[in-house]
Amino acid sequence: MTTERDAEISCPAWYLDRRNFLKAGAFLGGSAALADQLARTMVGAGAAEAQTLAGAGDYPLANPENILYSVCLQCNTGCGIKAKVVNGVCVKTDGNPLDPMNMAPHLPYTSSPFDTATFDAILCPKGQAGIQSVYDPYRIVKVLKRAGKRGSNQWTTIPFDQAVREIVEGGLLFKHVPGEEKRQVAGLRKLWAVRDPAMAKALADDAKAVMAKKLTVAEFKAKHAQNLDLLIDPDHPDFGPKNNQLVFAWGRLKAGRGDLISRFTRAMGTVNAHGHTTVCQGSLYFSGKAMSEQYRNGSWTGGAKFYWQCDLANAEFVIFVGASPFEGNYGPPHRLPKITEGLTSGRLRFAVVDPRFSKTAAKAWRWLPNRPGTEGALALALVRWVIDNQRYDARFLGNANRAAAKADGEPTWSNAAWLVKLDKDGAPGPFLRAKEIGLSDKDLFVVVKDGKPAVVDPYDEQNAVEGDLLVSTELGGIKVKSAMQLLRESASAKTIEEWADLCGVSARDVVDLAVEFTSHGKKAAADIHRGVSQHTNGFYNVLAWYSLNLLIGNFDYKGGMIKATAYNAAGGAQGQPFPLGRLMAGAIAPFGISVIRHDVKYEDTTLFSGYPAKRPWFPLSSDIYQEIVPSMGDAYPYPVKALFLYMGTPIYSLPAGHTNIKILADVNKVPLFVANDIVIGETSMYADYIFPDLSYLERWEFHGSHPSVAPKIQPVRQPVIAPLTETVSVFGEAMPISLEAMLLGIAEKLGLPGFGKDGFGPGQAFSTPDDFYLRMVANVAAGDRPGDAVADAPDEEVRLFLNSRKHLPKTVFDPTRWEKIVGPELWRKAIYVLNRGGRFQDWDKAWDGDKVANKYGTLINMYQEKTSKVKNAMTGKPLAAHAVYVPAPLDALGRPIEDRGYDLNLITFREITQTKSRTAADYWLLQLLPENSILINEIDAKRLGLKDGERVKLVSASNLEGVWDLANGQKKPMAGKLKVIQGIRPGVVGFSLGHGHWAYGSSDVRVDGKVIKGDPRRGMGLHGNAAMRVDPVLGNTCLEDGVGGSAVFYDTRVKLVKV
Amino acid sequence: MLTPTPMTARGEELARMRDDLRRALRKPVEQRRWGMVINVKRCTGCMACVVGCQAENSAPPGVAYRRVAEVESGEYPQVMRLFMPTNCMHCDNPPCLKAAPPGAITKRPDGIVAVDYQKIKGKDVFDKVSKACPYNAFSYDDGRYFTAGTPAVQPYEKASSYEYGRTWKRANGAAPSGAARKCHFCLQRLNAGMLPACVSTCDGGVTYFGDLSDPESLIARVLRVHGSMRMQVGLKTEPRVFYLVDDNQAAESLRACLACHK
Repeated sequence: MTTERDAEISCPAWYLDRRNFLKAGAFLGGSAALADQLARTMVGAGAAEAQTLAGAGDYPLANPENILYSVCLQCNTGCGIKAKVVNGVCVKTDGNPLDPMNMAPHLPYTSSPFDTATFDAILCPKGQAGIQSVYDPYRIVKVLKRAGKRGSNQWTTIPFDQAVREIVEGGLLFKHVPGEEKRQVAGLRKLWAVRDPAMAKALADDAKAVMAKKLTVAEFKAKHAQNLDLLIDPDHPDFGPKNNQLVFAWGRLKAGRGDLISRFTRAMGTVNAHGHTTVCQGSLYFSGKAMSEQYRNGSWTGGAKFYWQCDLANAEFVIFVGASPFEGNYGPPHRLPKITEGLTSGRLRFAVVDPRFSKTAAKAWRWLPNRPGTEGALALALVRWVIDNQRYDARFLGNANRAAAKADGEPTWSNAAWLVKLDKDGAPGPFLRAKEIGLSDKDLFVVVKDGKPAVVDPYDEQNAVEGDLLVSTELGGIKVKSAMQLLRESASAKTIEEWADLCGVSARDVVDLAVEFTSHGKKAAADIHRGVSQHTNGFYNVLAWYSLNLLIGNFDYKGGMIKATAYNAAGGAQGQPFPLGRLMAGAIAPFGISVIRHDVKYEDTTLFSGYPAKRPWFPLSSDIYQEIVPSMGDAYPYPVKALFLYMGTPIYSLPAGHTNIKILADVNKVPLFVANDIVIGETSMYADYIFPDLSYLERWEFHGSHPSVAPKIQPVRQPVIAPLTETVSVFGEAMPISLEAMLLGIAEKLGLPGFGKDGFGPGQAFSTPDDFYLRMVANVAAGDRPGDAVADAPDEEVRLFLNSRKHLPKTVFDPTRWEKIVGPELWRKAIYVLNRGGRFQDWDKAWDGDKVANKYGTLINMYQEKTSKVKNAMTGKPLAAHAVYVPAPLDALGRPIEDRGYDLNLITFREITQTKSRTAADYWLLQLLPENSILINEIDAKRLGLKDGERVKLVSASNLEGVWDLANGQKKPMAGKLKVIQGIRPGVVGFSLGHGHWAYGSSDVRVDGKVIKGDPRRGMGLHGNAAMRVDPVLGNTCLEDGVGGSAVFYDTRVKLVKV
Repeated sequence: MLTPTPMTARGEELARMRDDLRRALRKPVEQRRWGMVINVKRCTGCMACVVGCQAENSAPPGVAYRRVAEVESGEYPQVMRLFMPTNCMHCDNPPCLKAAPPGAITKRPDGIVAVDYQKIKGKDVFDKVSKACPYNAFSYDDGRYFTAGTPAVQPYEKASSYEYGRTWKRANGAAPSGAARKCHFCLQRLNAGMLPACVSTCDGGVTYFGDLSDPESLIARVLRVHGSMRMQVGLKTEPRVFYLVDDNQAAESLRACLACHK
């Protein structure tokens, strides 16, 4: 075959510099060398076969040297990919057969990349179209600074160094913009107010003392008189230092970059580093946290921000609730084939609860089209049936501590039998303590066994304690009930028929589901997702379903509820070579209330002044995406000076995201706004500066795992093509403009601790992204404990490693530097990992008899004492601490929302061919669905006199015009065509996410005075999020779940207006 | 009632079919009989095969060798959604061959119906062969680029593609621009010992591929154990693509299709 250089593309464009990525690959040409390799990989291959396969000389995509292993990012699943690169251009990505996300069983980790070169595994359509996201004509490659008002779509390209200088030093940065001639912008140098760790600690300790009412504000001010100007507000020391007025927010962030941002924000001394969790599954994560809190030294702590999902490889019965693994979830290549295999082999039967007849419902045994917001009610109906008919695993539920669980061979146990104290009104509160009834001096809990109280030490490995399950009694004058009794009472609030009626489903289906659910031992599960959590009652909906799972005790079992497990990349496990978190000297420990008021109780702060608070507080959750910008808008708890936004688009992705527009466009509310993005997107278009970023094929990340993945994994994303962005110099090193370059550039200018020369310690520089990420690769290669390292790459693999990267410039691939960073002992192991796209536990090692090997393995809270001690900051009412029925929707003050005259319930969903926001550039995908529609049941269409294909607008009580007001003179109507179908509950309408763009290359922008015409194909269809209900109390954000923090997608009622 | 095959996990199926493929490649080309089996019961309309094929064969706008039709039927709440993948059937008696210019379409000894991109050029040729094909297998490559009209045509669109064991550069109207294009069972991949793109990327585990003349192959086994049908057999095209019909549900869903399609 001929070695070719692909033709130079002759149209120059200011933001797409071809020089960077059109390099001739020095890959192997000549069929002799290729045939050599192929002959060797065919074990026992005859000459005929080798000869035939040598014809593959015309097919370079099978050449191992043209394949680099990395991780997709077309959605958050992060499936492994083989990136096939020819002449420096990635022309295809296919699934990695070594990665359990891409097929099951996956190939052994020791498989040779010379063999896996010709083994492509599973990948979804978005992954297959990924190169179109990377080679996007609208990608930016130079730093943009706005030339006009925010959102005016007028930009100038400026040198990277100038951008860094302006952001750090501040000044009259926008004097060229009418109205901002005199506006002084505070730069990061000013915001880096407190720098001395000792001073910070003194301030923090005393701020804490003020909160604990051990010190008055006056005393604090007197003591720290010299430094009051470093605080945001001396009258509120608990706000923390001015450093906190820098807010760093992100959308799709994974580990690696996450660790880097964490390092940066720590160095800057700000507590405000917030992700997007509540727009995704929010309350699902935080109920997982609440259910996994453990009791240590007198307090509930260590709850993990996670959730469980079902092991589909072995399940026999699953109820999918508000979840569609065939279209989204985590993710189709991983979950879908296990379901279809189960269907055709007879192993698996499943039901789907969803107002829409999803693709998943299309294969289901039963479809229950429930009313949106009634998911929790349905779970309680099932709970009721299971308890009434005693079809729960009594043995599992009776185990009150570790020893009892162990004796039964159970990896987990619950507090179902523990006794909860009731107050004078009969409302449950904290757990009863043995001390309170004179059973023990120690801080222990209590159960009743065969009528007699017994003491519970939850973690005792010796003395097994079991308890009666349904207990309602009085001990020592204290009224108590067991957690399971409380659950039963929640479920018994209505009959099954009443629950079914409330949900809008048939009682017969409910009973059939309950029978089936309890007929498969532990190989049954309720597998839930956003349809359950993204309501105002999300937290309690989720609890109800997990309580159902607890009733059959399916946690850690094959076919039951399992959790994600990943190899540690940041180095926190014992004996790992590079504990990055600890390799950082000189930074202050950030302190103070965050701008989203998370992880702290309103009552414990100096802002407390009775109920309602000005905005909600979130002691049990974090990463409350819909509170970041709106809180800045209200300057509550305090005003903010700078917002950095990485790979996020809250305006587009949030429900009622339009509420963020006015605030972000307001230079007084957000004086400095910097974005990292690969295009000018719906949110980054309002930034002051956009730093172009690397796409997922050009960068490093450690993607981690997902709840239903049984093997332990750590997929590693690495550069597979040369960067498209401009090359700049930071700390004297050449590197592409990226998130890394921006953070390093700022660190260099400021002299931030933990960066630059001696950044990791004496003689250990952190001057390039490689310094950070290769250390993480080394951690993965070394493993989580001594003796856990991977094998050394043999010579031929080292050669392959080097040869397959010949097209990469030194700025992103420098083997000499890499080897120096990793060290000689781990170098061949790092190569071994990178040749495979990460580290993946073998399939057979993921199982342990009838259980999974990677266990959750500890207490699960059916009742959450920590939650019981929290009050809703808007109502002053204590939170329910177990699964109770809460109706939806409720506003921030807990009042029902009526919206009379709006009679259609709006929901969203995802087509498998689109992500929520970043597949707009993928023309293969757009070709399949050029525009989305509003789905409506024929019954409603007839009733409303509407026809299939007719164009209508979405209108709601909080968006009467039915438009996106872009605050730049433009308004985009939420108009689209109707699709009249049978497969949606009457009374419900829905649209799929990912269409209706107004930026992202869909519209014209002006750069350096020239118009760059947009591509209207990217802006077709509608994006209905601006119709979603704004909370009537807060006025500038969507409806929220006040407990778990979920941003509410599914509780809005709309009208359809003909256009 | 037909007893279902113990359909195995997709990882096992892919590994097995890859071994089957290598075994077949050891035979002379005329002894291989490539065929495909589609198990509609497993298809969820994910479209990975459609896009995977397009990426594999550098498909420009309007070209799709593989299509997945979707139909909704029934009445709320008794609703059905059916997904039906189709591609060239690689007929033993291909009507397109007769409709095409001489030598433009050939039936290879291994069964693949191949098009010669140089000889099959022109919209009129496309119209003829497309009309002759009862399976809508052909797409017309009208020379467009997805990213034409945007700031810059992208490198993957100008990159070489690899079909029929050759390297193609489509720029400036060169073949396969102007050609009638269709599925060729990813011949370029077969020769490298790799399954067709639609088979390997399939999320549902729908599509099977292999040497029909090898009784040990998974595809032959599947066809032995399961009932199957081919599309429009009355036309005597002798397709090489089989659709499993296993139980009442599958038959019903195929009936839903036949309501519109003959």
